[in-house]
Formats: sequence, C-alpha cells, structure tokens
Amino acid sequence: MYTRLSTIDRRRFLRGAVGFALALPSFETFAGLAYPARQPNKKRFASFYMPDGVPMPLREDPAFRDWSWFPHGQGRDFKLTKCLETLEPLRNEMTVLSGLSHPAVRSVHGHSNADQFLTGADTGGSGDYKNSISLDQVFAEEVGEHTRISSLVMSTDGGTGSPRGSQTMSYNRNGRPIPAEHKPKRIFDMLFTKSDEAAARKLAMSNSALDLLLDDARSLKKRLSANDRERLDDYLQSVRDTEVKVEKAKRWIDTPFTAPNVDHLQLEITPDDPRDYLQTMYDLIYLAFRTDTTRVATYQIGRENGVGISDHLARAVGFKLSHQLSHQTKKPDGWKNFGIYCRFLSEEFGRFAKKLKATPEPGGEGNMLDNTLLYFGSASSAFHLSRNYPLMLVGGSKMGFKHGQFLDYAGTGAYRGGWAPGDTEPWKMDASREDLPLSNLYVTMLQKLGVETDSFANNTSTLAEV
Amino acid sequence: MDIPTFEEARKAGALHSAYRNQPTRAVVPGTPEPDLATFKAEIEPILEATCFKCHGEEKQKGDLRIDTLDPDLTEGVDVDRWLDIIDVLSFAEMPPEEEPEMAGENRGKVIDWLSSEIQLASQIRRSEEGHSSFRRMTRYEYNYALQDLLGLNFDLAGDLPPETHSEDGFENSSEMLQMSVTQLEYYRELGRSALQKATIRGEPPEKLYYGIKMEDGVAQINALSEAERGRGRSLGSKIPFFKNLDSNEQIRARYRYRNAEYFYRPSATRPEAPEKFQYTLILPADSQHIFDLGDTLPDSGTLGIRVLASRVSTEEKSLPALRLEFGFQPSNNSRSTQRIGSHDVTIHAPPGNAQFYRWDVPLSEFRRNPYRGEMELGDFPNPSEYLLFRNVTQNAGEDPVSGIQIDYLEVTAPFYEQWPPESHTRIFIDSKHKENEETYAKEVLANFMPRAWRRPVTPAELDRHVALFNSVRPEASDFQEAMIEVLATVLASPKFLYLVQADPQKKGAENLSDYELATRLSMFLWCSLPDEELLKLASKRKLKDRSVLQHQTRRMLADPRSERFSKHFARQWLGLQLLDFLDVEEELYPQFDADLKEAMQREPVAFFQEVLRENRSIMDFLHSDYTLVNERLARHYGIPDVYGSDFRKVGLDSIDHRGGLMTQAGLLAMNSDGKDSHPLKRGIWMLERLLNDPPPPPPPAVPEIDLADPEIAKMTLKERIENHRDDPACYSCHAKIDPWGIAFENFDAVGAWRDHINGIPVDATSNLFNNQKLNGIDGLKRFLLTHRQDQFAGAMAHKLATYALGRPLTFSDRASIDEITSNLRKKGDRLGDLISFIVTSDLFLTK
Repeated sequence: MYTRLSTIDRRRFLRGAVGFALALPSFETFAGLAYPARQPNKKRFASFYMPDGVPMPLREDPAFRDWSWFPHGQGRDFKLTKCLETLEPLRNEMTVLSGLSHPAVRSVHGHSNADQFLTGADTGGSGDYKNSISLDQVFAEEVGEHTRISSLVMSTDGGTGSPRGSQTMSYNRNGRPIPAEHKPKRIFDMLFTKSDEAAARKLAMSNSALDLLLDDARSLKKRLSANDRERLDDYLQSVRDTEVKVEKAKRWIDTPFTAPNVDHLQLEITPDDPRDYLQTMYDLIYLAFRTDTTRVATYQIGRENGVGISDHLARAVGFKLSHQLSHQTKKPDGWKNFGIYCRFLSEEFGRFAKKLKATPEPGGEGNMLDNTLLYFGSASSAFHLSRNYPLMLVGGSKMGFKHGQFLDYAGTGAYRGGWAPGDTEPWKMDASREDLPLSNLYVTMLQKLGVETDSFANNTSTLAEV
Repeated sequence: MDIPTFEEARKAGALHSAYRNQPTRAVVPGTPEPDLATFKAEIEPILEATCFKCHGEEKQKGDLRIDTLDPDLTEGVDVDRWLDIIDVLSFAEMPPEEEPEMAGENRGKVIDWLSSEIQLASQIRRSEEGHSSFRRMTRYEYNYALQDLLGLNFDLAGDLPPETHSEDGFENSSEMLQMSVTQLEYYRELGRSALQKATIRGEPPEKLYYGIKMEDGVAQINALSEAERGRGRSLGSKIPFFKNLDSNEQIRARYRYRNAEYFYRPSATRPEAPEKFQYTLILPADSQHIFDLGDTLPDSGTLGIRVLASRVSTEEKSLPALRLEFGFQPSNNSRSTQRIGSHDVTIHAPPGNAQFYRWDVPLSEFRRNPYRGEMELGDFPNPSEYLLFRNVTQNAGEDPVSGIQIDYLEVTAPFYEQWPPESHTRIFIDSKHKENEETYAKEVLANFMPRAWRRPVTPAELDRHVALFNSVRPEASDFQEAMIEVLATVLASPKFLYLVQADPQKKGAENLSDYELATRLSMFLWCSLPDEELLKLASKRKLKDRSVLQHQTRRMLADPRSERFSKHFARQWLGLQLLDFLDVEEELYPQFDADLKEAMQREPVAFFQEVLRENRSIMDFLHSDYTLVNERLARHYGIPDVYGSDFRKVGLDSIDHRGGLMTQAGLLAMNSDGKDSHPLKRGIWMLERLLNDPPPPPPPAVPEIDLADPEIAKMTLKERIENHRDDPACYSCHAKIDPWGIAFENFDAVGAWRDHINGIPVDATSNLFNNQKLNGIDGLKRFLLTHRQDQFAGAMAHKLATYALGRPLTFSDRASIDEITSNLRKKGDRLGDLISFIVTSDLFLTK
C-alpha cells in the first residue's frame, strides 16, 4: 500500500474535476464538402433491450436443463438451452456473456435500470436523476455524418418514458433521453420518404444568420489587437464550421431517397400483433442498414415492469402479459412459460441476424452481418436483480470479434432461484460475488467499431476475450 | 512569555506594515532610468557580504546565483529572480538561521532599492506591453445576462459546459475561455429558447386554481375502502397526519400513485381561503406528504404556490424548514422529483398565527410526466404530477424539533400578473407601427440591440439586422418567429458574447470607453450586463468621474445582484468547487450529511458577504471574533442556541477555536481526503489562496511514503510527513509547506475540532523556517496577523483585481497592485474600500 503525499496532480485534478474537455467535431473528415468516399469496411451497430430479466432456475430445478437462459458449459464448449437454441445456426458468429453489470446501480431495483443499460450512469433509485451518453450515440458521433440519419432510435412503447422508467435506450451527450419512435409508418417515412420540412426551414434561416455572425465577427476583428484577434479566430472558425455542417445537412435534404421495395412490410401494424410487429421493426432496421440510411440503431423491445403496450408482446406465444411471467416462476411451469417468452424474443432477433447474414455487403466484402455488431441484453438477470446481465454479441466478424464462445464470468457464483410473494427479493440481498464492470466490454466494442477511445462511463479496463 | 491576543497581534502587525509606512511613489516624469549607481555603491556590497557565499560562484543553493543577476530590472531578464529575492528578504526567510544575520538596516536598504526598481520596471513594462482582457462571458455571466436582459429568473445556460479554472482558480480568466462549434451551437439554441420562454403567443391562458383544505385530504381517505386506505404509504421517517382541530383526532396521512385514489381537482375560479379550518396537516420533523394535482397542469408558464403554514408549537426552539419538490410517479420503480428553489424556507410563524409562504415553479424548467395527455388519470402508467412537501428540519441534537402545521394550500396554474407578461412587452414593445412589419422589426431591434450589446448600435448594424429579418421572414411561419430568429442572432454575436475590446490603433495601456467601463463594472459586481443607469451615465460620459464611479460602486454593491459577486468570487478565490466533489467516508463520519455539506458550502460565501456588506477589514478573513452559521453548522461547531436553516452572524469565544476563513469546516474538509486531515493540501491551499504564494510543483519523480514499511506504518500522520521531509529530494519544498499544514491538525476530515487522534493528543506544533514556531491554528493565525498582513493584503488585492479584470496579472501590473494595496492599508484594510480602489485604479480604467 502506498499513500501518495505528492501534490503533482492537484491542479490537474482541479481541471479534471470541474473542467470540461470540449469535444471538437472531426471536421477534417469531411473537409471540402465532398460526399464521403465509400469506405471499404462500413461498420454498423444495433442494440436491443429485453425487459424484466431472464429465467434463472436453481441448478437442481428440473427446469434448469431446458429453460435456464444462460447456456450450459463454457468457453467454446457450450450448449444453448431452449431459450436461445434457435440461434444455433449463428453459433460461430455469436458470444454469450455472463457476470457483467454496471457497478453504480447494482443495489437498485432492476426495474429502474433500463435507463443505464447503454450508459453506465449512476441513475439511482430515487431523488436526483442524471444520465450520460449512451454507447450507440458515442458511435453515432463517429459515423453519423456519413448517412442521412445519424442514428435510428426505436422502442415498442415510444417516447422517452420517465426517469428510471425509460422507453428509449439512447441518451445524448448531455444525458438527455432521445425520444424513440414506435410507429412503423412514421419510421419508414422518416427513413425513406419525407424530408423534414421544419428542419429545412430552420437550415434556410440558419444560413442568413450565420452570414451575419461572420460579418459581426469580422467587423469586430478589425478593432482588435493582434492578441485578441487570435482569440476571436476561435469564434470565426466555429461559425465557419457551423456553416459547413449546415451545408452538409442541406445536401442530405436535397439528396433523393433510395426507396426500397417494401411491399411485404405491414407499416400500420401495432404491438397487438406482436410477432409481426417485431418483425416489421427488425425489417426497418435491416432496410435502413442495407440502404446505408443510417449505421446505428437501438430498439428497446419492452419497457421494464410491464408498463405500457410492450407488455402485450407475450401474446405472440399465448400468454396475456409479459411482465407477470417473471413473477410467477414458482408456479407450475413458471420457468418454462417465462422461457417460452424469452425464446420468442431471441428467435425474432435471430431471424434478423440471419437476414443480415444472407445479404451480401452492398458494395463491399462478405455479408452484412460481418460488418454489423448486434448487441442484445437486459439490465437484470434473476428477479429484479441488477447483476449478471444476460448478454449476447452477434455479428461483426470483420471487426475482429472472436465469437463461438460463452464467456461465463459469473460461473457457479450467479444468483439463481425464483421468487414468490413473501420472499426477500434478490436485489436486496448481499451479493456473494462482484461482477466485472460492463463498460469494460463497451470500450472493447467501441474500439472494434473503430472509435479511438479507452474509456466509457466507469470502465476499469477492456475485455480482451471477446 | 505572554501570548498576545488576536486583537493585539493584529494591531502590532499593522504597525510594521511597509505599505502603511511608505509614501506612495510618484510616477517619475520624463523617461525613467534604472538606478544602477545605487546598486553598485550600496546594494551589491551588502549582497556580496551576506548572500554570495551560498548563491555565488561556488555554491548555488536552491539553484540561485545572485552575483551574476542583471541589476537592470527594466531591460534585464532576471526580474523573476529579483521578485523572489525581495520576498524572502521581506518575510525574513533569508538568510537562514545558521548563517550570519543581515543587519536590519541593510535589509531595509535592499528591500527599498528593489521595491523602487520593481515599481519602475513594472510601469515601463505596462506602458510598452498593454494586455488583453478580451474574453467571452463565462457560463454564469451568460446566464445572468440573459436573465437580466429578458426578465426571467431561472437558469438559462442549460447545456453550456462548465468553465475551466485558471491557475489562479478563476473561471473568468480570458485565456481559458474557449469557443468551439458545439459551444456556438449551444449559444444559438439557448438564445432562441430563452427568447421563446420570455415571449408568449395568443390569448391569456385560462387559470386553474387549487384551493386545498386539509379536510379535502381527509375526505379522500374517507372515500376509500378500508383495504384501499391501508395500501397508501406515509413518507419520510416520521408519520405525517391530519389533525382535527376540534377533537384533536389524528388521521395518518398517506399517498399512493395508483388508481388516482389521492388527487385534488382544480376549479376555474379562484376559491377564497377559508377563515377557519377544521383540519390541519402536521408534518413532524423529517416527514413528507404529497399533494397530487392530477394531469391538468399546463406545459409552460409559472405555477404559483401559496402555503398557509406555522410551527406546531413554540416550546421547541428549533425552527423547522419546509422544502417543496415537484414530481411524479408513473409506475412502481419510476419516480422523479426536483427541488423547487435552491433554499429551504424556514417557518417562523408561531402556532395560531399562520402565514402564507410562496413558491414559484417555472413549469418549462421542470421534468414533466411524459404520460400526460397519453394516459388517463389512474392508468398504469399514471399521468399525474404532484407537490412533495418535506419538513427538512435538521436538528438531530437534543432539542426536540417543531413540526410544521399546514392549514391551506393554494395553487394557481399558470400564475401571471399581466398578459402579455412584462418579459414579452420588453421585447415586443408597444408601437403604432405594429402593422408594418419592417418598420416594427426595426423598432424592436433598436430597442433590444443596445441593451444586449451594452452600447449604441450604428445605423449600419441596425440595417444589417433588418436585412436579416427580411431574409428569414419568408421561411418563418409568422412575424414573431422571424423576429426571434433575428434576436437570437443578436445574442449569438461576438458583440454580445465577448467583453472589452482593445483597439490596435493605439499602443499600450489605453483607456476604456465609457460603455466598456460600464460593462466591466457590471460584470465585476453583478456578473451581468450594465443596467439603464450605468448606460445612461456612459452616454453622458460621466462614468469615469471618480466620485460618480465610487457612488455607482456603492449603489451596485447595495443592489441584490451583488450577491452574485460574493458567490462567484468567493467560490473561485477559495476553490470551493473542491467541496462539491468531496467524498467523505460515511463510516468514519456518520455526521456528515447533505445538510452539513450545504451549510459548509454556504458559510464562506455568507462570511465574505458579511465582510463586504459591513465594509469590514479584510484581516477578518485571517481571524474574526464572529462567523456566520445556521443551526446545522452551529451544531457541528458546538455553538449553542442557533436555530433554523438561515445563516446569521454569531459571536465566537476563544474556546470555539473558530474565526476567519481558515477554521471554516468546508475549507478544512475539502482540503482533506475524506478519511483524515491532509496537512499538505491545507498548507498549499493557504499559500495559494490566502497568501498568493503557490509552492513550486513537485519534481517528476517524487518518492512515495511507503506504508508497507512497518516503521512508517506505526507513525502518526505528522511523523510520516516529517520523515518524508527528511528525504533531501523533498526537503526544500516541504519545508515551505508542511509547517503551515501541520498547524491545522486539530481539525479532522470534516473540519470538526479534535484534541486526540486515535487516543494520542494532537500535536499541531511546527517550526517554520528560521525556527518560527507555530502553535496550532491559533498560533498560525497569530503569526499571519503579526508578520504577514502586508502579504495577505497584497494577495487579496491581486486576487480581486484578477477577477475584476478577467485576466491573469503580469509583472507589468505589479506597480498598480502595490499602489492599490498601499491605499488599502493606509485607509484601514476595508473590503469595500479595496473594491473602490480597484475600480478607480488605472488598471481597471484601461484595457
């Protein structure tokens, strides 16, 4: 143990604590206003959230064999249970992970934690609420300018939801929720048919305003000393850079849409036809990716706690409501019923992944799945317990993911067991082991997606094994 | 030996002030020349006799060689070395103990010669160099400027990033204030959104009124079945209840968000507050209750809240405080509340004499329930919104705490006094040309731009903006939208965002224009734009008149806007942001709670404000026989009979061991590490912030204290530090820092007094250079009062001037700072006078 008595970093600490490193956008990347050259290896990312955790029966429970969500075995030697077995054809393009979670809210009720699944923020259980940027938006900051839409944000319930009851997975740089779209027709129009007129008007007004600001700055500059001119140059440069941005945004507005063939899409569908609805939502992402309308998507399949229309999704497999399945695991067939619902979610997810795999990369090498990283999971495992998140990575082989493995960091230490009224809830118990910080995985994902960074939220390192 | 009292030390210290005793040097007319003759004849021989042995050809202790320094300070390159030398001579740090003494008379000669040469060189440098105060507004200045310009009173700086602190700790330092695309986009968006908030469209919105009597709350409960009734929860650690004032019957007050069991309905007419009440709500200390207002609150506008409340009894001395929060709970695990206003309201009204207390909620600034309009009341998720009332009384001591009695609650949604509101008519002024868009646009701009840009605008500037109006008008849906776009551009212009502009046509230290002076003054004392009176004086070219300037300074300091100055200067000067991020080990300090932390943050600001308001001596910052506390902080200090959450002045006894800044709990706590005191941090803080004498940064390879060594692990903290200091690599710096820090050892990591550490009596004695002994905090304060008044006064002038100018000071400013300090010391060290001297100094009046 060492105690550092030096004051080396005192000043640096001051700055670190309260300072703010202004993120300068990478304008070099589209200098000259040319359309971005087609890049040989486009990289895409999509993230999916399932609410309310997964079946975690005790090992000695008869349901363990078939309906425990996590695979049996470990490393390359693993067997998918009925929850995930429809993904077997993707076996060599997927990694299942256990024993990871975000540290800040491990002791908070799992239903409050969808908000931080992609952010890793300390969103707490009550009182003040603050979130931070989500993983997809960090990636969108990097690639968003190459496409008409920087990122596609969707959820079954739509909007932002409420603090600790999020209905979107995506949060901007300031930690504010980005409202999710939930109506297929609207999403389709946004992607493929309608120019945003309000945005176009705004851009037109912007142009004249920026001209005037440049004038103002130039006339002011004439009256400044050499020293001060330099200081004002920052301002001038910022106006010019904004103009470039506006120009670029205008070009997208003027660029004709590439409308795909969509006769098969049921754009008026609602979650009351759950299977078709899910398939439509996945198809929209597929089309957006195939046409390179965006390279980033999030889809929150359901809000936590059975609030809202997403609770109807279980109707696809013959149950009335989804959330209560997680509460009734100690009833006869409880694990199985919950498992059947989870199987439905992974089946539709798998269908989407397989479709990407079956599609050659437009203008590139391999298939679309090779260049698309899919991330699927939940912020709780056992009943309301915000530890040991059930997680899957699929695709992105060309980004260097190893795949074909079950990284079982939790091992036998994973909390298992059901719950019935009167029992103590697992999230209130002391944990027998500590998970790894999930943001370690996020940094590795970002790196493989081509973002130069070694930090995200509260990561302590990276996760080399994936 | 008799130990002098603080008062005696202060008097004695003042007597040998060099600043007080020396006549102000007049600026020499003509071209001044350095006095090298005196150096050769008198000074060099003294230095040779006393200093060259260690700082000469053979040895260069501390890396300093004096015999080769260039004695010409005006042209030479060794100014910084000479500045160090005058300091160590003035503070009697050199020659060291073991070397022959420098005779008092000789020391005086060297110091006098050096001071006068420094003064001369600094003046010459200044007239040659000039410097730049050109900077943009800080985040907080931008916020206040918009608030004052638009007449809004909530935060308008939104997502603007916080500023970086300069080496001096200041946020308004010109060289640190950057601009980027993101930042510019924020300005454009924030300006637009602030203008939208200040203006309205359409007819007056209908007002909804809630007149909530507590019998209505009882009626809600009575309407429920017994089973339903039991499901609601009482909030807080104590149970709130409705009390029947006739029978004294008590009914537990509960709340549940589900099924719309508890909510109040508004009416379209304003209900009269009843004269008498049958029921009242009792909120014991640390209890809460929710008043659910349903889902009909408007999207924007102000929620006007009046609460008729009193204390439950006067037997308890402690005054309760009420906090209101706005929130909602759509489902079990999702809830949100935000505090209304930044301070809790102390309830003074005695029982039987209830008073109305007021809160305003700018609805657009609060997180709202996203299910409003989507779901029905009572649905899951539930769309209603509520007010959470908390009795936050902090007393955990021996006195029982008074509850709060709530008789009546009135809510008006939205509340406005006139329509359109004043913030709207301020922008869209009355005119007979409203029908002619272009003419009216020009009138609106002619009214708005000079206030925003703090000076008259030229016809060309005005026309250019009218042209912008004409070009955006076709894209906009109506006149107002186009106008707001143009006004937002005025607010994103460098002419709004940047302050004080130098003119390259003239060289050196040239004068500010009257308008620039008005802005510099208002940014200094109000952190905001000049008001009409200042601009009017500027237009009449009267502001530079010394007596006008002094009068305006007094007027501005008496204005409530000057509280911003106290807050931001004190925070930056003292580095209080460290306290915001303080992480205290809960298990070691269970008493450290949110209320204590908040009180710690407020004390230094309240103390500064008191010294300013009463125009007291700045030496009070070193020691005072009073401080400002509220109940929570008083309990921390062991000061009895202070009740309630408001800060007030209390007298201190010597046994309190408090007084001045250095004994304030927040400053002590933030210079700890959350577990124990941190003498180094405290020592460095004192040197940097109070004496403006920052120690050099440590060398790159600093040996660490090896706690694995059993010998070292056994030591007390003080012994460890001394052991570390014995390492020759560390000695030279630590000898300058440690003794100061050790003197604070009687204060633990949360700034509480302690006589023992782990059962061992605290040893807070230390030796300064030259074996000056410091005996604990009192000894330290006495030492500073006796020997370092000049240094502190100079530091204070330096810090305040840095803040006032918004730029780091350089050597060329030294003559001016010396003059300000000298004036200050001669006039009795008062803070208000110091500000006045700064404002009327050539430093402040020139660019």
